[in-house]
Amino acid sequence: MIHDIAILGGGPAGMAAATEAARAGARTVLLEESRDPGGQVYRKPAFDGPRDADQRAGDALRAALSASGAEVITGARVWGLGGGPLVAEGFAPFVVSALGAEVTARTLILATGTHERIIPFLGWTLPGVMGLAAATILLKAQGVLPGRRVVVAGQGPLLYAVAAKIIAGGGRVVAIADAATTGEWARALPALFARPDVLARGLAWRAQIMVARVPVLMGAAVTQAVGEDRLAGVRIDGRLMEADALCIGHGLVPATEASRAYRAAHVHDPLLGGWVPVLDADRRTSVPGLYAAGDGSGLRGAAAAPASGRIAARAALRDLGFAAPASAWGAYARAARAGAAMAGLMALRPELVARIPPDTEVCACENVTRAAIEAAADAGAGTMNQLKHFTRCGMGPCQGRMCGEAASALLAARRGVPVAAVGFATGRTPLRPVPMAAILGDFDYADIPVPAPAPL
Amino acid sequence: MTYDCAVIGAGVMGCATALFLARGGMKVVLLDRAEICREASGVNAGTLTMQMTRAALVPYALRAHEMWMRMPEWCDGGTVLATACPGLSVAFTPQEAAMLEERAIARRAAGAPIELISGNAAQAIEPGLADGVLLAGHCPIDGFTSAYLTGRAFRPALLNAGVTLMENTAVRGIAGRFVLDTAAGPVAATRLVLAGGVWLQDMAAWLGVSLPIKVLINQLVVTERMDPVMRSVLGVASGLLSLKQYANGSVLIGGGWQGIGDRVRGGIAIRPEAFMGNIRLAAHTVPALRDARVLRAWTGLEAETADALPVIGPLLGVADAWTIGSVHSGYTSGPYMGKILAQAILGQAPEMPLFPMERLQ
Amino acid sequence: MFLRMSLRMPGFSRPPAVSITAFGREVAAHPGESLAAVLVAAEAANFIAVCHMGVCQQCLVRVDGKLVQACLTPVVAGMVVA
Repeated sequence: MIHDIAILGGGPAGMAAATEAARAGARTVLLEESRDPGGQVYRKPAFDGPRDADQRAGDALRAALSASGAEVITGARVWGLGGGPLVAEGFAPFVVSALGAEVTARTLILATGTHERIIPFLGWTLPGVMGLAAATILLKAQGVLPGRRVVVAGQGPLLYAVAAKIIAGGGRVVAIADAATTGEWARALPALFARPDVLARGLAWRAQIMVARVPVLMGAAVTQAVGEDRLAGVRIDGRLMEADALCIGHGLVPATEASRAYRAAHVHDPLLGGWVPVLDADRRTSVPGLYAAGDGSGLRGAAAAPASGRIAARAALRDLGFAAPASAWGAYARAARAGAAMAGLMALRPELVARIPPDTEVCACENVTRAAIEAAADAGAGTMNQLKHFTRCGMGPCQGRMCGEAASALLAARRGVPVAAVGFATGRTPLRPVPMAAILGDFDYADIPVPAPAPL
Repeated sequence: MTYDCAVIGAGVMGCATALFLARGGMKVVLLDRAEICREASGVNAGTLTMQMTRAALVPYALRAHEMWMRMPEWCDGGTVLATACPGLSVAFTPQEAAMLEERAIARRAAGAPIELISGNAAQAIEPGLADGVLLAGHCPIDGFTSAYLTGRAFRPALLNAGVTLMENTAVRGIAGRFVLDTAAGPVAATRLVLAGGVWLQDMAAWLGVSLPIKVLINQLVVTERMDPVMRSVLGVASGLLSLKQYANGSVLIGGGWQGIGDRVRGGIAIRPEAFMGNIRLAAHTVPALRDARVLRAWTGLEAETADALPVIGPLLGVADAWTIGSVHSGYTSGPYMGKILAQAILGQAPEMPLFPMERLQ
Repeated sequence: MFLRMSLRMPGFSRPPAVSITAFGREVAAHPGESLAAVLVAAEAANFIAVCHMGVCQQCLVRVDGKLVQACLTPVVAGMVVA
């Protein structure tokens, strides 16, 4: 069966896009990696627990999706992308291969969300160090504290969300180190007045943190994770604090591996999180039939994601010949304004890149240090693809998702060019490492379609 | 200024040619539309095997094998981590055994020291090999490189030899003898070497020469690092599998299964059926691979002439212009091919015969 | 006081705990939890999980001999993690 619209990713953008598409009568399928749709912010908890605004918003999106009639495939670990422009000649339906499922569709909406940027520092690979988004998942979906004495550090609103959750869950936050200054926050605040709900929640977090008397250090950076086999302390601008967990994140990065694999045009915009697909107002990429929505197409926050998903779905519907309501750009623009201010606070901070120590691993998978990256730049590596060849940076299991941001900033700085000039690593299949045993299936040797041998 | 020679295409053959020309006293410019060794020369399987080399090329591949192994000595310390190990080509069926025998005999006649051994003997050499092998070709001269290091390895030596390296400088056409129209302005040279891989056809067309080149889109797959599962270079009789495990534990799976792409778009995607066929063949040959995780798959472009033999020699009808390319298993033989072409251009007698393009007309 | 505190937060209605073996010791787990969360809650030494969302590949462990990402693996009674 060929679907009209397939959606990759079941976060708020994907859920809303699928709902919109199915309601209009399009044969719609949504693929989601987790057990339930929701995405990272609206992730459905493993157990019933304390309910918050995110959970209510997530439940509403899930309920609408479920009522829409869209087919939803959860637990879908997508590893292969094909079809579209990736064919010998012309153009074909998109093919999305997941472990245990394959979907073919005339159009494909990418709603793949983000992953976290962590700018390396001394000791950052010690057990006990985790991302802020990771801590959010642990706290909200699993009900587990990251540690007994937790330092929360980095940049952006997640800092305060994580700290408040830890406190509310009975944990202890030793300190919050915010890389942004009070002035930067003050400049971002007016945009939040458009979203009183978001503002109120942020203020509630701050209140919880103040009541718990947690020191909040502004314009502060973690300089070292200290410990032998696992984290024992955190040094913030030279000051050592005892801690067994460090939750740290330096912003979110749109997950663009799918649009890269389809060879869509991309543009580098630090205020959207870095590399994002080039989109028209209806969220069409440069590849016909391929759309992108939500934070994976540029950071604008979970609140704005459903509106962007609906815009993409309506464009796909119209392009397929379905009747669709006019796109609600206004609703999106209003929701995106607060998100844009937060995205600004989460943008890559070059000063953090500048202070990565020379011997610190930037690529943890392949053990590539800052010094090695700079030596490669000096030896003529000019682009991220070339850096990969010179150093193996980004060749490991995470495929450069964790190190790409810091590595490209280092390479660009060393070469004296903008980050955009060093490009990004080509998108490759499989999108994630995939166990051979899971895809091989049963086969007879005689049935392997071995092509004709090369001439002797 | 006018260069003595302009080499267009900074793959392994262009780099080797440029390097040996410069060492022979010429003022050389090496141009590439992208970066050094970022196409086939940087993304191939790094195979140094004789058992996938065309019989006619075995004498060249043997000399190139020696060059790869000693690369730091002639390339100013540049290294591709060349590793020597035994090579095995195996047959699981009587048909494959017959093909293996025929091919081994031909390659042996060409100088590759291949002996035919039993499945048990092959397993003694390669304990990771599956049961059920009827016959194996064993060649003690085999090995592999980390091909992605090729550009890094050549670059300093080229610069030390005085080669002007112009990366990211596309040549758009050639006027007169020879003024290259490039994005960075005109580049003049009295001699010209076209070393453009699958784009050799387009380059020859700049000079009005027809040189049809077929494009192969070879797929490669690499696994995540794993505990040692093999210690040789493994292939199958048909040549449609090459397997090797690197020092870091990753296993590279190749063999020339065809992906999707063309000369204009390059290799754009793997072909799912071919991906599956390739990894099944790999897992059948080394069962421990079932425990691996596939990390990445990609494609690289291989050039092939009408008779699948190289075009190395003068460009027909254009004085002082030369071609090098379309060498089957071209990476394996690449540095030696560059060396002998440089000898010819420098007016010396090449150590081994070139492959003139007259035969293709 | 801190040493006795559980890292599992109160207020969640978890099903009764089951037992798994992680790195040679018996560890309590609630069906529905991710293996990564169980290992964090158990304060398993040397266990790294940076992203908890399937991206970083640092939480790779062997469950009953098979390589899996702990953060994407639901915990099951009796599983043996190495």
